[in-house]
Amino acid sequence: MSDNTKKWFSLNLNSKKKQSTGSCGCGKTSGGCGSHTKDQISDKEFDAAVDAAIGDERKKDGFDQVFDVQMDRRTAFRKLTASLVIGAGAVSTSCNLTTGEETKEKAQIDWEEQFKGNYKLMTDDEKKATVDRLVRSYQLRKGENIDMSSKNAEKDVLFGYAFNISKCQGYMDCVSACVEENNQDRNSQMEYIRIHEMKDGKGLKFDEADDNYYHEVPAEGHFYMGTQCFHCDNPPCVEVCPVQATWREEDGLVVVDYDWCVGCRYCMAACPYDGRRFNWSTPEVPENEINKNQHYLGNRMRKKGVMEKCTFCVQRSRAGKNPACVEACPTGARIFGNLLDPESTIRWVLNNKKVFRLKEDLGTEPKFWYFMD
Amino acid sequence: MNRYNNIHILMYTFLAVILFSCKHGEGEYHNITDKIEAKSKNYHGTSISSEQYLEGIKTIKITEGAHTFLIPERKSEIKSYACTECHTKPLEELKSKDPSKKAHWDIKLAHADLNTMNCITCHNGNDMDNLTSLTGTSIDFNRSYKLCSQCHSKQFKDWKGGAHGKKLGGWAPPRASMTCVNCHNPHNPGFETRWPAGYNTQKVKERE
Repeated sequence: MSDNTKKWFSLNLNSKKKQSTGSCGCGKTSGGCGSHTKDQISDKEFDAAVDAAIGDERKKDGFDQVFDVQMDRRTAFRKLTASLVIGAGAVSTSCNLTTGEETKEKAQIDWEEQFKGNYKLMTDDEKKATVDRLVRSYQLRKGENIDMSSKNAEKDVLFGYAFNISKCQGYMDCVSACVEENNQDRNSQMEYIRIHEMKDGKGLKFDEADDNYYHEVPAEGHFYMGTQCFHCDNPPCVEVCPVQATWREEDGLVVVDYDWCVGCRYCMAACPYDGRRFNWSTPEVPENEINKNQHYLGNRMRKKGVMEKCTFCVQRSRAGKNPACVEACPTGARIFGNLLDPESTIRWVLNNKKVFRLKEDLGTEPKFWYFMD
Repeated sequence: MNRYNNIHILMYTFLAVILFSCKHGEGEYHNITDKIEAKSKNYHGTSISSEQYLEGIKTIKITEGAHTFLIPERKSEIKSYACTECHTKPLEELKSKDPSKKAHWDIKLAHADLNTMNCITCHNGNDMDNLTSLTGTSIDFNRSYKLCSQCHSKQFKDWKGGAHGKKLGGWAPPRASMTCVNCHNPHNPGFETRWPAGYNTQKVKERE
C-alpha cells in the first residue's frame, strides 16, 4: 500500500489491511474461524513490506529519523525551513567565540530535542537520553534540579480506579492535590478532576449538575461525583490523533507525548468524558510550587498549544504509590490499584460491589468504576 | 467440475470477507472484564512494592476472614494511654466529690443515642486499659475495629475488602488500611461539613 510510508494514522475504510498478526475477527489468536491467510498477504510478506516502507525509521531516532527518510522536495524544504530557526540559533551560538559553554550546550540540547523521535518508538536508552536532556535543559535555564523518570510500564500491571459516590463529600481536596502534583497551569486554573454536585433523586444529570460550587459541603440533598480521564481500554482519543502523540501504555495508562503533540485537539473532541485539557497559554507555575518529581509522560512542564490530562499520576503510580487524588481524599471514596492482582482492593470492589461506568454502551471500556455503599 | 470449484472458492472468499469485516479492532478480548480475568489467571505479583511509603508508620498485621493487611498501631498514638496511669483505683473511688471538676471534660458522646450507648458500652471500669465488647469480652485498643464491627457489620465487610476506608502507603503490596478510629472520632464519628478546598474563578469566566 502506498500510504505505508507514512507513520501517521490513515483512515482505512473498506480496504483490507492486516491489522495485527495472528488475531482475527472472532478474537481468537489461533485457528478456528476459517481461512485466515488465504485472501491476505502472509506475515512474512507483510513484515517485508513494512520493513521496506518504514524499516529504517523504526531503528532510527534523533534527527536520523527526520532527515534520513525518503521525501519529496516540497516536504524536505518545509522541514528544513521549520528547523532553520533553531539551526541558525545553534550555528550562531556554536560558531561564536564569545558565547559561553552553557549557551552552546543549550543550543545543542535544543537541536537534539527538536529532532528527536516519538517517545513511543524510542528505545529505553533513547528515552533516558531525552529525559537527561530535559533535566539538563531545565538546570541550565532555571538553575534548579528536577528529577525526571522514564520508567516503563511494569509487566502484569493494569491500573484501575473506583469511585464511591456515597462517600464523596465534595471537599475537592483531590482537585487541589492534583493541580499541585501535576504542575498544572495556575493562570488558567486548569483542573483535570471535576466534582459534580448532583441532586438526590434526579439520577446522573451532568447538564444539571454544578461542577464549580462554593458553599459548605456536603450540601443537603446532594451527592458528589468526580470525573477525570477514565483511561479507556479502547480509547477514542488515541484513534483520532493524527500524529500518534497519544497512546495506551501496557499498564493501561493513556498518555500524551507533549513534544509530539501538534495541538489539533481532535482528541479533546473525541473524548466522550471531557477528560482532556488544552494549554491555551504557556503554563505557569511558581518556581517554589513546582513538583520536581516528574515523569516524561506525566507532570513535566508542558508548553503552549499541547494537550494534557490525568495520567493516574504516572510518576507516582509506576513507583507503587497511589495517585495524588487518592492520597488527598479524606473520605476514602477513591480506590486505586492493579486490576490484574486478584488480591487487590480494586478487584474486591469490582467483584463485590454494584459497580457501573459512564457511557458503557460506547464500548470505550473505561477503567474507572463508580459504586455505592 | 471446474465451475463448482470456482463457486466454492467464491463462497469461501465471501465467507472470509464477512468474517474479517466484523473486526472492530478491539483486539483479543471482548471486553475489559474478560481481559482482566484472562490476564490475571497467571498473576505472580510484580516487582513494585509500597513498603518504603509505610516507613515511619507503626503498623500491626491483622487477619480477618480471608483478608490479611496492616493497620496503624493505636496505643502509642493515644496521648493518655495507658489509662491505668491515672486510673489507679476503681472508678467509684476516683470519682470527684466536686461536680465542677471533670476528668474527661472534653469528651462529649455523639454516637448513637443514650438508650443505645454510653461510656461503658465500650469501656470497662474495671479494666481501663482495654475496651470491652457488648458481651463483656476484652478488646485490645489496637484492635478497636472489633468493637465497631459489632454494630457496623456492613462497613466492616467493606473495610475488610477495601471498599470502605482510606489506604496507607500505595496501591502496591503490602496492603495497609487506616482503621476506623483513624478517620472517625469514636465519641463523635460523623464528618463535619466544611468549605471546599478551592474555587475556580477562571471556569466561571470561561463559561460566561
